[in-house]
Amino acid sequence: MNNIRNFCIIAHVDHGKSTLADRLLEYTNTIDSRRMREQFLDSMDIERERGITIKLVPVRMMYRAKDGQEYILNLIDTPGHVDFSYEVSRSLAACEGALLVVDASQGVEAQTLANAYLAVDQGLEIIPVINKIDLPSAQPDEVLRQIEEIIGLDASQALLVSAKEGIGIPEVLEAIVKRIPPPKGDVNAPLQALIFDSVYDNYRGVISYVRLVNGSVKKGQNILFLATRKEYEVEEVGFFTPFMSPAEEIQAGEVGYVIANVKALLEARVGDTITDASKPADKPLPGYKHIKPVVFCGLFPVDRDDFPRLREAIEKLQLNDSALTFEPETSEALGFGFRCGFLGLLHMDITVERLKREFDIELVATAPNVAYEVVLTDGSIIEAHRPSDFPEPTKIEEIREPYIKLTIFLPSDYVGKAMKLCQDRRGEFVSLDYITPERVRLVYNLPLAEFIIDFHDRLKSITRGYASIDYEHVGYRKSNLVKVDILIHGEPVDAFSFICHRDNAYKRALSVIKKLKELIPRQLFEVAIQASIGSRVIARENVKPLRKNVLAKCYGGDVTRKRKLLEKQKEGKEKMKMIGKVQIPQEAFLAFLQADEED
Amino acid sequence: MGMTSASTTRLGWALSCPLSLYVHIPFCIRKCPYCAFYSVTASPIDIEGYIDALGQELEIWTSLAGGKIHAQTLYIGGGTPTVLTVKQWEKLILTLERYVDFMPFLEASVEANPGSLCADHIKLWRSWRITRASLGAQSLDDGELQWLRRPHSAYDVADSLAALVASGLDVSVDLLFGLPGQTIPGWHRTIRDCLCFGVRHMSIYELTLEENTPWGENPPKGLTEGYPLYRFAQWYLPKKGFLHYEIASFSLPGHWCRHNIAYWQGENFLGIGASAWGYLDGYRYGNARDIKMYGQKVSHGELAIVDEELLPFKQAAMESAVLSLRTMWGVCSRAFTRKWGWKYYRHFRSTWDRLPDDCKATLHGRYAFSPKGFRIANSLWEEFL
Repeated sequence: MNNIRNFCIIAHVDHGKSTLADRLLEYTNTIDSRRMREQFLDSMDIERERGITIKLVPVRMMYRAKDGQEYILNLIDTPGHVDFSYEVSRSLAACEGALLVVDASQGVEAQTLANAYLAVDQGLEIIPVINKIDLPSAQPDEVLRQIEEIIGLDASQALLVSAKEGIGIPEVLEAIVKRIPPPKGDVNAPLQALIFDSVYDNYRGVISYVRLVNGSVKKGQNILFLATRKEYEVEEVGFFTPFMSPAEEIQAGEVGYVIANVKALLEARVGDTITDASKPADKPLPGYKHIKPVVFCGLFPVDRDDFPRLREAIEKLQLNDSALTFEPETSEALGFGFRCGFLGLLHMDITVERLKREFDIELVATAPNVAYEVVLTDGSIIEAHRPSDFPEPTKIEEIREPYIKLTIFLPSDYVGKAMKLCQDRRGEFVSLDYITPERVRLVYNLPLAEFIIDFHDRLKSITRGYASIDYEHVGYRKSNLVKVDILIHGEPVDAFSFICHRDNAYKRALSVIKKLKELIPRQLFEVAIQASIGSRVIARENVKPLRKNVLAKCYGGDVTRKRKLLEKQKEGKEKMKMIGKVQIPQEAFLAFLQADEED
Repeated sequence: MGMTSASTTRLGWALSCPLSLYVHIPFCIRKCPYCAFYSVTASPIDIEGYIDALGQELEIWTSLAGGKIHAQTLYIGGGTPTVLTVKQWEKLILTLERYVDFMPFLEASVEANPGSLCADHIKLWRSWRITRASLGAQSLDDGELQWLRRPHSAYDVADSLAALVASGLDVSVDLLFGLPGQTIPGWHRTIRDCLCFGVRHMSIYELTLEENTPWGENPPKGLTEGYPLYRFAQWYLPKKGFLHYEIASFSLPGHWCRHNIAYWQGENFLGIGASAWGYLDGYRYGNARDIKMYGQKVSHGELAIVDEELLPFKQAAMESAVLSLRTMWGVCSRAFTRKWGWKYYRHFRSTWDRLPDDCKATLHGRYAFSPKGFRIANSLWEEFL
């Protein structure tokens, strides 16, 4: 066990994490150059394109160090995005050390800090690695200073490398061996294995990636999942070299995989502890959480006949992604589809992208929304994912919404604008620190609902792309929220109602009904579009009755052409949805579903 | 077309009854960019040949009818019929007289354009059977006429109007509205001036950009919303004694165009000439939109029909209702029931009853649109389809 080192690499997006991992694999001859390809560990196309890691891939490297001994180095890759921060924390928990990669020209960014704190929190030994020192714009001294001053780590032992050019790689490996402590654990104690990731394989069922903390596991053993209390017989155990290779046994301190004929990811959840069914450990490993989706959106096939295919595709993705939830939903405009729950915006983007690419389904994704907690007057709490889930206002005691703690790193020139944006989005100021005279760290508490609607894009545009952000979920808070109903000609239309803060209700209601006024064609009578909170109307617009609609002459030869024009006109109308007596075109529903508030 | 001979043979009886006759003259000095009617610029030889072809087409129709065509109204339209010289007109008249038996109390209209209309045209028409002239003035404003690329000026319009009215013909003018920069005062001036000349009929059209016209492909900019102008005409002309007898037509009582009313009442009419349409007992046909092809066909003793339509009964009934609703006389419950039966009358009524009250003007079993109904007629008609 003394010759095992379990470590991970943490970094801000684009600071070169995957490239560094590639070099380590090459240097240790884990993968021969024939099979080597760029960013080996990012196996999905989307991961490589976006330069992010979504699914974890652990890998075991053999390294003969300068002291002449052979070491087993287990690299556990971490997903690089806050949506997956729970997974990040679990994979950190499987390690004893971390390489903190910082770009030599960009310096410390929001996620550098967040990841470093997570690692510190797990008690990991952190080795700062300044990457991309070959770049002309590299400022290693400044970055070292930032590591000391901002993160508070001792930078004197930081390594200067260029993963791209292969500079400093042996030093990194030596530092891993020397500075990261070997795992502790007792091979003879009852089995305790931490699941830090699970994947679903069509042929073999669930494959759990585990870090053995105590005991050992081998084929034929009966194991128990402590959180789900399910028992299975182990079919195979093994290591990642980096391809799965079966082994006799995995022992405490090692990293490997367990296949036990588990049929659903939900039964082998990330963070759960595997133990021996006959000799169970008395307690699970700490830190297990049941993760729940926080962002929701509707997914609808463009071609309505694709609905069954969409269902199949989502079900398949869910096998591999236990955080994804879905339930059927019907929309006035889009027909049948699903309301899906995600860990965050990126998770949502990725899922939509994968559905489009891997399953070749054309999709319409509606604007995202969050899950609210509604406390009823009888004390019970319900979760509401959409306006129609909300009970009558009289039955509501209070409404809570999810908040995030948002950290923004940005050049000081843009602080004013960024603060204005946060204020506009109902943000609560927490702190403002000057990291350097030119760089600022800004922290706000922000309702998640305000964040998921194009916050990042707006921030990027007002800071010209110089801001980096990170956030963590800080739970639900009571909020003065209201449900605004939209009534068209006196009929409430579910598809148009929305939830917002009471202070913004009027403004948003006005913008919604103005938009509807534009989109709803004139009818034979005057149509009132009203926005109401409960029974109180807060805004109103009228669609004036039709005045005219092309007066044209019509003589002998025109009759047929005229009739065809009328028929065409009528066909157009038949595509509209009748709400009461009013015809509403699909575009109105679509515009609303995808509406971004423009100020 | 395969069914042409069979269907036209069955039309003998309809053809032998009094009907309305339309003659299309598809020639213009130049093509207006908004016009969707078929016309070409032509040489004198083309015109002579075309008049011969008209005679050949009439020859075929008379043989189907078993004798001369009995016309109760005649309309010679275009194109620009005044592009024909007086000589050519004389030839046209002779041709018509050979095949057509004109009934007493004939209404015979001709379309005339300022610029090509001359005193000799008027003299000839007066000496023949013409009772009515419709002047394609479009506007009395030189700026608007230039923008429309009309080949005449406001003075030409004035001269033509004066000459036509003086000759004793019933005079109508066509006016366009919705033109760039058109204002209510300007529009008022145009209408008022026309009335001063003594016109008894006025057709007003909103400039519509139709497919297959230069402006349909490349729409001009700056068109004025036509609604207020139309509404002004609806208010102003009745004050001057004019009846708004059809969506786009106003006239002094009795000076309406019976020929056009025949279209809207679903009566039979025979159309001859290239691109002309006709309607005979539910059968609608359209001639070739090309003078060469038209000429070739009829010279071989064949009709030049390229489009035809025989509507299913229900569709025909609803089309008839829609056409009737263009006029102030609207749908007569008894006449409609007699022609189309109870079932479709009920269908008509159930739709009618759903329309907003302020769009309807119902009197003595006639269902017609109110002035407001005329303004939104297109949307109302849709309900009947």
